[in-house]
Amino acid sequence: MPAPDTLPGTPLYGQFPTALRFSVREQSRNRLAALLLLLFVPLWYLLMTAIAGDKDVDFKLYATGEMLSVGGKHITLITAGLNALTMISGFVVFDAVRKALAFDKRLAFAGFGQSTLVGAKMLAIGIVASTIALYTALALLLYWRPGFTGWGTILAGFATMTLTYGSLGLLLGVLVKNDLEGFFLIIMGGLTDTFLQNPLGNPAANKPVLQYFPSFGPMQFSVGGSLGDTVLWRYLGFGLIWAASFAVVGLIVFHFRTRSRRPKG
Amino acid sequence: MTTRPEPALTARDIHKAYGRHQVLRGVDLRVDPGQLVAVVGENGSGKSTLLKAIAGTLRVDRGEVALSGTLGYCPQDPVLNANLTVDQHLRYFAAAHRLTALDRADELVRLLGYEKYRDTAAGDLSGGTRQKLNLTLALLHDPDVLLLDEPYQGFDWETYLRFWDLVDQLHERDKAVVVITHLVFEQERFDVLADLVDGRLTPRDTAVKEPSHAGA
Repeated sequence: MPAPDTLPGTPLYGQFPTALRFSVREQSRNRLAALLLLLFVPLWYLLMTAIAGDKDVDFKLYATGEMLSVGGKHITLITAGLNALTMISGFVVFDAVRKALAFDKRLAFAGFGQSTLVGAKMLAIGIVASTIALYTALALLLYWRPGFTGWGTILAGFATMTLTYGSLGLLLGVLVKNDLEGFFLIIMGGLTDTFLQNPLGNPAANKPVLQYFPSFGPMQFSVGGSLGDTVLWRYLGFGLIWAASFAVVGLIVFHFRTRSRRPKG
Repeated sequence: MTTRPEPALTARDIHKAYGRHQVLRGVDLRVDPGQLVAVVGENGSGKSTLLKAIAGTLRVDRGEVALSGTLGYCPQDPVLNANLTVDQHLRYFAAAHRLTALDRADELVRLLGYEKYRDTAAGDLSGGTRQKLNLTLALLHDPDVLLLDEPYQGFDWETYLRFWDLVDQLHERDKAVVVITHLVFEQERFDVLADLVDGRLTPRDTAVKEPSHAGA
């Protein structure tokens, strides 16, 4: 008679490494997102710089109150990168989380620690988001060489932005019922958020109301570092607060949606 | 009849409504170890709702469920991850159950005859093979109580027979099994047939069958 193999002993597979590995895999198996990242990002930069031209624009750095006169092309490259990232990272995480929700619930019922699953999912989002941000920041070098510190701050701004929209993807993935709603919210949210920050496309770009948008912090940080010779860490923090807020709400909803409903006798 | 053993599963007074549509109106169910119970009912009678309620995937409005031992639940629609292969599913659930070996998984894959798909992503599997994996995941940890919601949908005849061999083995090993079915011709296989009508479960008045049985 076969004995149940749940008796004491070392489990064959650890829960955290297994969940992390498979979460990264499910998020990185999105072929459309990979294609968008590889081809769309460089083309998007090309298109946006062509539209931007060589005109200088004023950009307000809120930390110093200083009004910078910067190349419209450079500002546009940063907003174009941020914009592409919102769509790609939001889409990747939303798609993976939504499709795996019922499966994750089954795993949790089978004994997978919910907090382990949640932690692994979040770390996987971090890994995938950082990879997407790195590629997008590298592709920017085809059109502009802002210097190492400048590029570093752009990369950090991009990484914060991918985390924010990755976390938004997570939140929408556990909340909305179908694909279209989620995609629409991510695309419209990302477009509105990033384009309003660009003074070339939006004459009201330097207005204080923009401080309350998720891309405000990463945009200020990236522009400050690459065009203003100032590294505004506090502004990177603003972006991270957005990312953390979306993630915390998303993970709380995830926790509720994967818990057991069995009425106790 | 001897003294009844401790039940493996007891559900009492289960109520569930979707909006104003009352689906379950006080379902009672008791399953003893080694008992094979069929829940029979028309489409929309609430069979799947009942199993979900017992499994804990659906919140009920009222009622209690008590289990002794571990539970395995095979949902009607396969709940899989399209991006992961069969083997990755087995590993994921082995981690969930903290299994120390994959022997049972290997045995189930062999028994249900889908070894050649172990490296195929679930999204690329046929409906029948997806169902085999769905069933394997429910049985992986050798649970004491099994809830199977029409578990053989999409199976070919040979797999269907293998499925019943598997259930016979579980039966002989004192596992409690609840199967949702609407097929008349397999009813002789069960210890108890219970009809779900008007939101209540009524055991059919049939003789308890012999422990050994053969054929469909």
